[in-house]
Amino acid sequence: MSLLEVTDLSVVYEPKGAEPTYAVKDVSFALERGEFVGLVGESGSGKSTLGFAVTRLSKPPARISHGRIVVGGRDIAGLADEELRRQRQGGFAMVLQSGMNALNPVRTVRHHFFDIFAAHGHVDRRRREARARELVAKVELPDLVLDRYPGELSGGMRQRVSIALALSLEPQLMVFDEPTTALDVLVQHAVMRTIRDLQREEGFTALLISHDLGVVLESTSRVMVMHDGAIVEDGTSQQILHAPEHPYTQMLLSHYADPRAEVVELPGLAVRGGTISTASTRSDDAGQDGAVAPAARPSAVRAGAHRSAAREPVVVDHVSKVYPAPRRGQARVVAVDDVSFRLEPGQSMALVGQSGSGKSTIAKLVTGVERPTSGTVHVGDVRVDTLRRRGLRDLRRQVQMVFQDPYSALNPLHSVEYTLTRPVVNFSDLRGRDARRRVLDLLDLVGLSPVEQFAAKLPHQLSGGQRQRVVIARALACDPQVLIADEPVSMLDVSLRAGVLALLEDLRVQLGMSMLYITHDLLSARVVTDRIMVLHDGRVVEAGETAQVLRFPADPYTVALLDAVPQPGRAGDAA
Amino acid sequence: MRYVLSKIGLLLLTAWAAITVNFLLPRMMPGSPADAAIAKLSRNGTVSPATRAAIEAQLGVPGGSLWHQYVSYLDSIRRFDFGLSYTFFPQPVSELVTKALPYTVILVGTVTVLAFVLGTLIGIGAAWKRGTWMDSLPTLSGSFLSAFPYFWTGLLLLFFLGYQLRWFPTSGAYGARTLPGWNGAFVSDVLAHAVLPALTILITSLGGWILGMRNTMINTLGEDYVTFAEANGLRSRTVAIRYAARNAILPNLTGFGLALGGVVGGSLLVEQVFHYPGVGYLLYNAVVNQDYPLMQALFLMITISVLAANFVVDVLYGFLDPRTRR
Repeated sequence: MSLLEVTDLSVVYEPKGAEPTYAVKDVSFALERGEFVGLVGESGSGKSTLGFAVTRLSKPPARISHGRIVVGGRDIAGLADEELRRQRQGGFAMVLQSGMNALNPVRTVRHHFFDIFAAHGHVDRRRREARARELVAKVELPDLVLDRYPGELSGGMRQRVSIALALSLEPQLMVFDEPTTALDVLVQHAVMRTIRDLQREEGFTALLISHDLGVVLESTSRVMVMHDGAIVEDGTSQQILHAPEHPYTQMLLSHYADPRAEVVELPGLAVRGGTISTASTRSDDAGQDGAVAPAARPSAVRAGAHRSAAREPVVVDHVSKVYPAPRRGQARVVAVDDVSFRLEPGQSMALVGQSGSGKSTIAKLVTGVERPTSGTVHVGDVRVDTLRRRGLRDLRRQVQMVFQDPYSALNPLHSVEYTLTRPVVNFSDLRGRDARRRVLDLLDLVGLSPVEQFAAKLPHQLSGGQRQRVVIARALACDPQVLIADEPVSMLDVSLRAGVLALLEDLRVQLGMSMLYITHDLLSARVVTDRIMVLHDGRVVEAGETAQVLRFPADPYTVALLDAVPQPGRAGDAA
Repeated sequence: MRYVLSKIGLLLLTAWAAITVNFLLPRMMPGSPADAAIAKLSRNGTVSPATRAAIEAQLGVPGGSLWHQYVSYLDSIRRFDFGLSYTFFPQPVSELVTKALPYTVILVGTVTVLAFVLGTLIGIGAAWKRGTWMDSLPTLSGSFLSAFPYFWTGLLLLFFLGYQLRWFPTSGAYGARTLPGWNGAFVSDVLAHAVLPALTILITSLGGWILGMRNTMINTLGEDYVTFAEANGLRSRTVAIRYAARNAILPNLTGFGLALGGVVGGSLLVEQVFHYPGVGYLLYNAVVNQDYPLMQALFLMITISVLAANFVVDVLYGFLDPRTRR
């Protein structure tokens, strides 16, 4: 008998004063005991809703409208609260997406364990301390974390604690909802390994929910692909990897590649070093966010014609940035340590590294937001690190940023047109009808058409990919020489990433801008940059041509970063 | 305990600053009580130098250097000597204040604490059962009642419970026929007199606490740690109290600190409506009669009590929120 049998499960969202929508539609599947199964889908596919329903954690406005969820022979779909609560011990557990916030900030880790032991009484009072120690050891943490408050632990440690807590229920089924998404690349890799090891040792059945097909294929033996509230494909990892049947699965897979490979191709983006293909393959991804490929349209050329002819390099010379100690008695923070580089006009360069490696600080130094502790930053003849107000304003004309989070980079109260008109009016003499024409040109340039419709929209009416296109259009409004893109696609769904990257790449070439591309994602760095700098603890550990560095990494840190890139092809290891 | 020590240091520093400002402000203002009195007299004819000297001596126009005045000012505060009241001449200000203070602290203080505790509990319940009548009833009636001004609620209670039904006495802190003292008759009389003002304050302030707690608690209920606690099968009581409410109460403590600090300032209007002999009533009289020594002493009192209340809340925060301790 299967451990979990889900039959015709539907989950409906019934927000007050709005039409109900079905996030999960008549889904049926079964998990065998000891199986490690992945559930993959993009945002809005209903995968998390399904995960919450299976563990009976759906909260209003979500509601299980019908269907059966049989765990170990018992239907839990309609179980009453108290009975359900008891079933959780020895039944089904959940590890949440943002492990960062899954722990009560005012209780120590020990109390978290003891609360669970007290709620179910499955651990003898005298054994509780020992059991808690045993559990944190299983997730490779030292005993002393038991005395800590969540705020005193790193993100990775907190997620490990959550896993240990879920494990303390001695569950037969563990649901992991994006367990590593909020974590740093290398930490992500380590936590996933712990999850795999635990599953093998403890033998629980695991359901791994993720947007990242690469991560899932690496870990699981079977994968279910979810799209639009339904499971569109269900097969072994090998089948999914080598012979995906559903077009959606095929599309997802097409966005994975090994940054170390000789030739790297993503839909709409081809290998660097030679020609950049702006081939028609892009249209299907661009179609995902309702955008049209911007390549070679007259308006794009017209918009580009605004720019000044002379393009100048960005020169960063022996720059360091030291922040004072956060608290008395602690060491000061060296965010950037003696970094030098030169970004030639029209060149694109990647800055890669984990969070805390100093890559975003370098962006702040180049944009003049922060001043270096020592060293100089020049954009052309302008010395950035000594600029004052007026000078900084002029600098903004030349250096613009694209931010990581398109959801918070746009003021939700302003229409797209307003958002784009501001920089146009601030940085040019265009007014009234001319300014509006420029705004529409910009929208056209980033492939948001029909432009008039998009101009009138508010940010919440746009998808993530469309928002990021607006952010890019805003950065282009003053026709900058240098574009600094700080993780421009990390918040977007895989299928949208290639579209936005291709857009950045096209624009850079068309408008002759140089680009500083900041990322932790080596694959995207490989496809949109010529040169790369690998940063670790504020120092440059490796630099050179992107293809060269990634194919033949010399520094162990670069190797570690490369190893952390999810490789669907490695699926065999786990199976 | 370094946290508490640093907070004590901060308290002493701010108290010193408040005392110094209280000393400097009147000296920086143009004119003095003596000038005002002389100006009033001179409207009816010329004021002889002898009269002027007498007035200045009576009102204690300070002499000597500013530093000298400051030192003697600090010394008189240490001795709790604020001079004599004009209005209740020749009673010392300190005596008036010590007489009024217990009434206000006991009445307003108890009611403030009671309103906070009660409002918080009701707010927790409302948030936990959100969407049901247990949510809408207290939320709606709370916002309805707190929309009334203090004195209006006071007058309504006075009219119905005091004059119509004659359940409670209508003015003062105790009746004309009872003598102050620690005996049952006096205490019960004081309690009976406190009911209407207390009820007034309770009714008007309860709604704010209910709404505040309910709203922060609803936010907290959406936090991942609450969902995770439920996923781990904790009892709903534990989830509601130790996970949700325990975190939701933190922002409300700040409001509580402000309310506690306002206790000594008293509920001026309420005490006025009920002729309740507390600090608010005293302050009202001081202002109306331009009783400068009394006013100055009361202002100092109010400032210090706000600081002390903030100190208490800061320390409480330290115990309740590990994140502030670091």
